[in-house]
Amino acid sequence: MTTQLSPTEPTAHVIVDPPRRRGSSLRSSRSRFIAALVAPAILFMLIVHLLPTVGGFYLSFKNLNLFTFRQLFDAPWIGLGNYEAILFQDNPLRTGFMGAVQNTAVYVFWTVSATIGGGLAIALLMNRDMRGIKVIRTLMLTPWIVPSFVVAVLWQYMWQSDIGIVNKLLVDYSGLLDERPVWLIGPNSLWAIIIPSIWRGLPFAMLIFLAGLQAMPKELHEAAAIDGAGPFKRFRYITLPLLRPLIAVQLLFGVIYATYQFAIPYVMFGSNPGPHADLMMTLIVRQSFSNNLFGFGSAVSVLLMMAMFVWVAIWYRAFKRDLEVA
Amino acid sequence: MSRRRAVNLGLDALTWLVLAVMLAPIFWLVISAFQDDLELATGAYDLLSPTFDAFTGMWQTIDFERFFVNSLVICTVAALLATAFASSAGYALARFKFRGSRTFGLTVIGTQLIPGSMFLLPLFIGFIWINQNVGIPLYDTHLGMIIVYTAFFTPVAIFFMRSFFLAIPRDLEEAAMVDGCTPFKAFVKIVLPNAAPGLLATFVYAFLFAWDELLFVANLTQDTAETIPIGIRTFIGNYQQRTAQLMAAGVVSTLPVLIAFFATQRWLVKGLTAGAVKG
Repeated sequence: MTTQLSPTEPTAHVIVDPPRRRGSSLRSSRSRFIAALVAPAILFMLIVHLLPTVGGFYLSFKNLNLFTFRQLFDAPWIGLGNYEAILFQDNPLRTGFMGAVQNTAVYVFWTVSATIGGGLAIALLMNRDMRGIKVIRTLMLTPWIVPSFVVAVLWQYMWQSDIGIVNKLLVDYSGLLDERPVWLIGPNSLWAIIIPSIWRGLPFAMLIFLAGLQAMPKELHEAAAIDGAGPFKRFRYITLPLLRPLIAVQLLFGVIYATYQFAIPYVMFGSNPGPHADLMMTLIVRQSFSNNLFGFGSAVSVLLMMAMFVWVAIWYRAFKRDLEVA
Repeated sequence: MSRRRAVNLGLDALTWLVLAVMLAPIFWLVISAFQDDLELATGAYDLLSPTFDAFTGMWQTIDFERFFVNSLVICTVAALLATAFASSAGYALARFKFRGSRTFGLTVIGTQLIPGSMFLLPLFIGFIWINQNVGIPLYDTHLGMIIVYTAFFTPVAIFFMRSFFLAIPRDLEEAAMVDGCTPFKAFVKIVLPNAAPGLLATFVYAFLFAWDELLFVANLTQDTAETIPIGIRTFIGNYQQRTAQLMAAGVVSTLPVLIAFFATQRWLVKGLTAGAVKG
């Protein structure tokens, strides 16, 4: 039974047109069946994602704060006031916002590039034949299974300046550094969340690339090798182009999920990670739920979502070709 | 040839080294959980005489059982519902071209683009409103969190299930329908049993991600429906610094997902990489 289930071989005829010869009653029973199939998913997405998103958009035009919170959706309308305060006025909120934008950009850049680059490198390494490779591949996935909140508490302990294992390795055992770096406060605190995020993301990227490598026809590499292409040339001109669609998808979702990272900084630092490690989501949640600036929070969320739409548009232009191939 | 052998041996060693580096933090978590607070505070680990104190103490220091049971109940039910809804919607996408199927597919992907903070507050307000006007309590209840998580993990699960259904030959259903089965009967009796590994993989996927969720449970619960991500932070606070118990709690809350993953990884990996190998 399971032999037929390999998703690697999708059936050719996926789409079935409604039988034209038969009567309309059959056709309406068919569409009723389809409607019933998709109805629960649509209902839940409507209730949890779509309607509240419209509500969030609406709230971003409201002056919703501690004093007006009881009025909820009836809070005073201030039009683009929240957006003006975020983008153009000189105030502490704007400073905090700009800081979080910068931190998030740095966080996303390093997390995504290191996850994809490192994941690809590890996948190439794991694509070799050696004794125990199946077990190694499976064990490699473990960091990805460790929940984010466990990752955060574990690394917070490992980053401790005096007793943490990281500084012990860097200073006491190896002597690489003379002074103990402070990881959890100050400029290093952004790295204190970037590095665990990469660690947790690497296995998944490896898994995807490994699957791509193994689905690759061997003949291409063999033919190129006969023609005298070395391993680097074969990687550059055969492997990499064939992996482009996978890199594209990893890039798309990697950027989105990294931008929306919340659990690791929140569990590691609490609701205020400080100016060096504050990300977009921690900023929005803190300003909304700790400081009751819900209008501000909604407006930042809208800007964030628009930024993601821009990213998807850029991504689509860049990788359009690869999507048609895939 | 001997140079090639040396390179191969070097790469073998590098493979083991990479694995060791990746597993090192997990190793550190586990051995830290078997020490006591004094050993952790001074860094003087005694690996030869492990203690189980942290594993017994963690249930007393805070009511960890409540968080653990809440996580189990909410994630299991939500993952079951998400799998059910995703399998029916995924089947529709895999087998039929219908009006709006493209829009539906795009909407499903589109939900992944919305930042959680965008709909968190309106959802909170909606929960309050429903309680006041309909009388169904959703804030700080299992039901509320189950609804939220079901919706969260249905979209990706739909594409998961779709790829599993695409791999099942159509002839099976067609033969059943020729024999007089209704499409619904063919789906339930023929297709679903054949997609059992896919269903299992989808369930584990949804469970894994629900187990990890923090943003919504942090703001939509207060007490009765709080899950592990909320509870685990209370080991370290203003009045206590129980690092060993924190590490033990980390081990205990990783175990369920670890077991679920390794028990089903054969199928789960197929689902996760389905998109990767179809090109």
